[in-house]
Amino acid sequence: MRDQWTDQLSDYVDEELADAERRALDAHLTGCVSCRVLLEELRRVRANARVLPDQAPDRDLWPGIARAIAPGRSARRALAFSVPQLLAAGVALILVSGGAAWIAARRPIQARATAGPAGAPTWGSSPVWRSEAPYAAAIAQLEAALDEGRKSGTLDSATVLALVHSLATIDTAILDARHALAADPASAYLNHHLADTMRRKLDLLRQATAIATPRT
Amino acid sequence: MLAAVVLIALGQQTDTTVTVPPGARLDVSNPSGSIVVKAWSQKSVRVHADHENADLVQVTLEGSVLRVKTASRRSTPREVSYIISVPAVMPLALSGVKTDIDVDGAQAPVTVETVNGQVNCRGGSGLVSLKSVDGRIAVQQAKGRIEINTVNDDISASDVAGEISASTVSGDIELRNVESSSVEAATVSGEVLYAGSITDGGRYHFATHNGDVTFAVPEKANATISVSTFNGDLDASFPVNLAGANKHRFSFSIGVASGRAARIEIETFNGDIKLRRPAEMDEQSEHNE
Repeated sequence: MRDQWTDQLSDYVDEELADAERRALDAHLTGCVSCRVLLEELRRVRANARVLPDQAPDRDLWPGIARAIAPGRSARRALAFSVPQLLAAGVALILVSGGAAWIAARRPIQARATAGPAGAPTWGSSPVWRSEAPYAAAIAQLEAALDEGRKSGTLDSATVLALVHSLATIDTAILDARHALAADPASAYLNHHLADTMRRKLDLLRQATAIATPRT
Repeated sequence: MLAAVVLIALGQQTDTTVTVPPGARLDVSNPSGSIVVKAWSQKSVRVHADHENADLVQVTLEGSVLRVKTASRRSTPREVSYIISVPAVMPLALSGVKTDIDVDGAQAPVTVETVNGQVNCRGGSGLVSLKSVDGRIAVQQAKGRIEINTVNDDISASDVAGEISASTVSGDIELRNVESSSVEAATVSGEVLYAGSITDGGRYHFATHNGDVTFAVPEKANATISVSTFNGDLDASFPVNLAGANKHRFSFSIGVASGRAARIEIETFNGDIKLRRPAEMDEQSEHNE
């Protein structure tokens, strides 16, 4: 689920929040790990998007993203996406690049032609894993908070069991989506589905962390 | 105004009635047990609670907020069962941890949060926000912005109207007799069912990872429908003309395709997408009963 803070993060990055809204969000960010991670992810997506070549590869999502960041658009409003759209686009973008690199490892000549000109961002030898690293970091932080709640007794065993069960359900879905994407990296549906499912895991962990934190 | 009424009960039952000013809100916090709130025709609030001697029930009117809270001489209170009668138009904020929460007959905003517990809400107007982690949520006859969120159980809504958002991870979502131009329903492992209006210009999104999505399409609806499935089929009980298709996504229009047509997105990774007529859904429902 979206909340008022995540909905404001995109405007925050674009410096379009009113002073009062910005101050409120600043205050919220000091105490919210998941929002800070989302903010970092947004900034990273925007930075990556700006250095990508303005050339439409043969992929489902890319043309829309390229149009959104093409020169000539409002310099102030660099990206007019909502947070979920940005995250989905970011993950999709990187997964597409990851998919291209994965193909490159198997079919070097064809993949290089797809991957774009020299100077395009590189994603390392394990591109998909690297692309998910920000999510992994957020999830690790939030899982630690959840574990703390479990140890401190804030969460009882039935709640922990329910959360663990649901986290396992989401992890299975993520695994399914990853496998499907490996076979069909250009699928817009699969890209969105993976991004959505990972976002749901973040949402769940954020919710669990909130529950695990004793109320004052 | 602080503490217009403070009552601390030490017996096994607490029963008190408090006159509240117009526009007052009820805020109840009960870590364990149950909260039942019923609307009545009086302008006062009656709080009845069953609890152990060591536990305290505090009823405090602070300005326009009537707070009902469970406290204890122990580190944590035992189960307390509340039955609270309120004016129908009184906004409600009810919270608990191991707590079942029931609301009956509200005609005002309702906010419910529990961790291990079921939520049943009949009525509600304006913002109706119902949350649990490990518990089923059911809502009927609510209108306004309806937000339903659980993690490890089912969601059902019927005879509701307004903007609707329903989310769970491990559970089914069933939405029946819905009047809405904005519906979003998502689960990860569970089925999704929608039988309700499709309004011109409306937006409808239904998603699951593991499970079927069953969607009732009224005969006179005007909509552009996009369906996506990775391991599943599209099963429509009426003819559809596919306008666009790729490997995992199909789209088509029904009725008059125009800029004002509703937009409907249906997604399932592992499951079928079933498009039915409303009458078929009614028959199926009766059959299941």
